[in-house]
Amino acid sequence: MNVRNEDMKRFERLILPHLNAAHNLARWLLRDATAAQDVVQESCLRAFAAMGRFADGNARAWFLTIVRNQCYTWLKQSGARHYVDIDDEAAMHEQDALALSHAETPEALAVKTQNAAVMQRALEALPVIFREVLVLKELEEMSYKEIATVTEVPIGTVMSRLSRGREMLKKELCRHDQ
Amino acid sequence: MTSELNCNDCAAWLHPYLDNELETEMAARVNMHMEKCADCKAQFAELQALRDGIRQHAPYFAAPELMERRIMSELSRQKPAHLPRQWLAPVFSAAALAASVMLYLSTPSPQDALVDEVVSSHVRSLMEQHLTDVASSDKHTVKPWFAGKLDFSPPVYDFTEQGYPLLGGRLDYIDNQIVAALSYKRNKHVINVFIMPTTQADAAMHSLSKRGYNLVFWRQNHLAFEAVSDLNRQELEALSQMILSQH
Repeated sequence: MNVRNEDMKRFERLILPHLNAAHNLARWLLRDATAAQDVVQESCLRAFAAMGRFADGNARAWFLTIVRNQCYTWLKQSGARHYVDIDDEAAMHEQDALALSHAETPEALAVKTQNAAVMQRALEALPVIFREVLVLKELEEMSYKEIATVTEVPIGTVMSRLSRGREMLKKELCRHDQ
Repeated sequence: MTSELNCNDCAAWLHPYLDNELETEMAARVNMHMEKCADCKAQFAELQALRDGIRQHAPYFAAPELMERRIMSELSRQKPAHLPRQWLAPVFSAAALAASVMLYLSTPSPQDALVDEVVSSHVRSLMEQHLTDVASSDKHTVKPWFAGKLDFSPPVYDFTEQGYPLLGGRLDYIDNQIVAALSYKRNKHVINVFIMPTTQADAAMHSLSKRGYNLVFWRQNHLAFEAVSDLNRQELEALSQMILSQH
């Protein structure tokens, strides 16, 4: 048995099961179907090359960290308009203060979330650092600790981005309603 | 210890409460506050509605169907960091040939999964226009190309004179291993011949068809061969026979 075949078996066992998660994350972060496929493919090559450095542990979080980094590289290179740097996070605070003023009944909000197209547009409108925590939390059902690993920030930051992200999403859903 | 929460504090804990990230004691305090405070309770219900909305209605973008296979085949083409020194190619000898002729009597049917994989690889090689990594009808170009990329030495022959020109070779990934793929042409039909090492005994040619493609399988000298094409069965078997008698 050759060494590379063993690496490929390990890759198949540890990484391939998370291909859907990788593609879902890339698609949400990049908002571009072709770019998402390219980035996932590139991430796989990088993960494969780095397999030797991955000891046992959380393969999904490890792989998604690579995918996320590749996504940010792509976003920077493509000069995406909605790309928000970590430094811009403070600027977002003031904006969301407005979001809190929207009074919604749970029932009214629930109705708005029923429309998949509206939900997608609203999520896609969020700055990427808020979008990613929501995708990892709600679509991948990751813990704060796992999200902190993938996004490379402290758990406290994950918590604050999630709560801010949710408030912003509510605001977006209301906007689409009009 | 279980002091009352005020609404401001409670609001801050609602998100981790929703996400099941609070310690039991803290969760109990949030719960207790919400039992008395209609505002916080309503806010929590709103957060729940939002979460359920995302989970149920936000699209989940699963990876496209062919992606997994494409990635594995791409990985198999990557340059390895270090190559194994072992040389597992079988030694060709009269004795081995005699032994293998004896074993031709058994005709196993290949597993369905393998048949599917072979057909999919064939279709994919045509779809992605990735038929060859080394395009040449010269076996002296194609054969050395495989050296160092595989731990076995696939037999490479050109049959241009017989009407089956060799188009070239590439690496592919079938049955959990890196395999050699040779492509031939017969009139307008492309033929893929996959070659991989096997520990199983030699076996005679075995033809079948699947999804409109013809396949011929055989094993010879510790190598398993799979020829696949939309070519008719007789002509595909003719090519297989030529490879078999050369090898």
